[in-house]
Amino acid sequence: MKFARISFAAISISILLYSAAAAQVSGCDICHAKPDFKRVLKSGRAQSLHVDQTMIDASVHVGKQCIDCHVDIAEIPHTTQPQPVNCAQCHYEGNTVGAPQRDIKQEYDGSVHSQALMGGNTEAPTCQECHGSHQILSHKDPGSRTARMNIPRTCGKCHLEVFSQYQTSIHGIVLEKGNEDTPTCADCHNEHGVRSHEDPQSPIYAANVAQTCSHCHAAEGIVGKYGISSGQVDTYDDSFHGVAMRFGMRTVANCASCHGIHDIRADDDPASSVHVDNIPETCGKCHPGANANYAIGKIHIEAQNPDAGIVYYVASFFKWLTISTVCGLILHIVLDLSRQIRNRRRGTNH
Amino acid sequence: MKEGTEKTGDADAQAVRQQLEKLLLDWVDISLSETRRKDLVEAALRERREAISIDLEALIHRIRAEVETEVRHREDQLQETPEKTEEKETTGRDFVRFSLNMRIQHILLLSSCIVLILTGLPIKFHDTAWGVFMFDLMGGIQNSALLHRIGAVGLIAVGLYHALYTIAFAEGRKNFFKLIPDPKDARDLLQMLRYFVGSTDEKPKFDRFSYVEKFDYWAVYWGIIIMVGSGLFLWFTELVLRVFPKYVLDIAKEAHSDEALLATLAIIIWHFYNVHFNPHKFPMNKVWLTGKLSEEEMIEEHPLEYEEILREDERQRRESR
Repeated sequence: MKFARISFAAISISILLYSAAAAQVSGCDICHAKPDFKRVLKSGRAQSLHVDQTMIDASVHVGKQCIDCHVDIAEIPHTTQPQPVNCAQCHYEGNTVGAPQRDIKQEYDGSVHSQALMGGNTEAPTCQECHGSHQILSHKDPGSRTARMNIPRTCGKCHLEVFSQYQTSIHGIVLEKGNEDTPTCADCHNEHGVRSHEDPQSPIYAANVAQTCSHCHAAEGIVGKYGISSGQVDTYDDSFHGVAMRFGMRTVANCASCHGIHDIRADDDPASSVHVDNIPETCGKCHPGANANYAIGKIHIEAQNPDAGIVYYVASFFKWLTISTVCGLILHIVLDLSRQIRNRRRGTNH
Repeated sequence: MKEGTEKTGDADAQAVRQQLEKLLLDWVDISLSETRRKDLVEAALRERREAISIDLEALIHRIRAEVETEVRHREDQLQETPEKTEEKETTGRDFVRFSLNMRIQHILLLSSCIVLILTGLPIKFHDTAWGVFMFDLMGGIQNSALLHRIGAVGLIAVGLYHALYTIAFAEGRKNFFKLIPDPKDARDLLQMLRYFVGSTDEKPKFDRFSYVEKFDYWAVYWGIIIMVGSGLFLWFTELVLRVFPKYVLDIAKEAHSDEALLATLAIIIWHFYNVHFNPHKFPMNKVWLTGKLSEEEMIEEHPLEYEEILREDERQRRESR
């Protein structure tokens, strides 16, 4: 892209040579409406510079003039390569042109993408890389790059390997089938505030993973529809892994440690990390020498539920042992005290 | 107060006796002046004097008994406890109930348990504000886990030492056999319940260990076996999983967590009542520190053991003679 911008300057000069200078900035379409208007990149590839007015008319920016965004263009033909458009010139809190604004810019500023950009990485995405430039559609529009169904592909432009993993995961497969409940990249990583997994504020920071998964996996209204238990996050929270994670250990397992990250698969999929045959290997990542014993017995156990098998019976035994013992002891104490009170009233000391 | 009243009683009786004697002598002087009948009179007089003195002794005894009852009654009414305890101290003899060895075992046990409960229950109650507070207080689970293991080592040590104590020490063996439950414990419990509801006024007579104490002992025994057994499984997870399937660990975790709660409840409700909040013991039964019971406490709480000790003392005294 850098090369593209540099070579743009050369082409701009050639444009200057044959087109008449215009005092007013209008008539961008003189050049940019031509479908075959393009420049040659250093790489030898041609980049189209054609802007289709119908594309803009279909976008959320319908009615805007070119210079509303390309504010650095003061004359036609322009002699310099236009600077990248800064969306925040309209999309800021309290703007007068009615551009929608949340704390998106601040969220983005804290993200790894912004950090990479500040660090000099010119490939780091700005708004345009995800939202597009001349054809920005609302995320509600199925054709939008930020529409739910298209998010993985949008992110996948840069994160190709992750995207290919996601496509084979249960989440990716059902998304491909048109399921809107399944998580896309933004559901776990945030939309604008994409943070590193080492950042404690990140939804994918080890201690926050269970909370992130719980948005769907603890919601009966979402996972319940597919026959998936909504108690898995609770049982994790109650397990030693969950308690240790919550109260300070960072080396214990979170959801992703066992289930995978972008390659999460159903437990009956032989390629799944939690498939019964793969459990020794999966547990073995942290527990050296893990064997098939690790797979004998349920992992997510809710002791109060008969599904827990023998653990349920152990829990029930102790429950009734505790209730009967405590009741018996309290009864003994109450009877003892009542007799002592009667004795005192009668004036005897025994 | 008691002694004073007794003295007055004696003085009264003395005065009555003197008056009666004077009357008799006067009467004898007037009616029997003949010297030849003097011997006869002397004899009769002696006889009656004896009879009267026996009556007087009986009277004095009765008066003393009445005065004593009255004094006791007044003491009860006035609740003059300082005087009472003074009396106990002066009259009572101390009986050693728990040797130093036993007391040290108890202190090790209780300190281990306190550490284990304070570091362990927050895991069970991690969803409560108390649990979160405890973890914060201890500076995270890394610290509480370490403290829990230190407590565990203490509990295991005292458990092993106790097992040795009940096998290798004569004192330990003797007490252990006395702690074995027998049918009398069931009868004692029934009688105690009847006493509580008022269908009898007689408490059961306990030997060295009442059914309550036997229950406490065996509850701890059971608790230590469950807690140490399951706790070791949870401590050495990877080692256990080499041999046992994962659900065995799940059982261990459930048992460890549930028995912990049961033991804590039993200690807080039952043990604290028996040694602290029972009106007879409030604010604390000091026997776990001093190891000693007074004679009154022995008679009240362990009459059979008390009698046994007295019989044993008597036998030794007779042998040494």
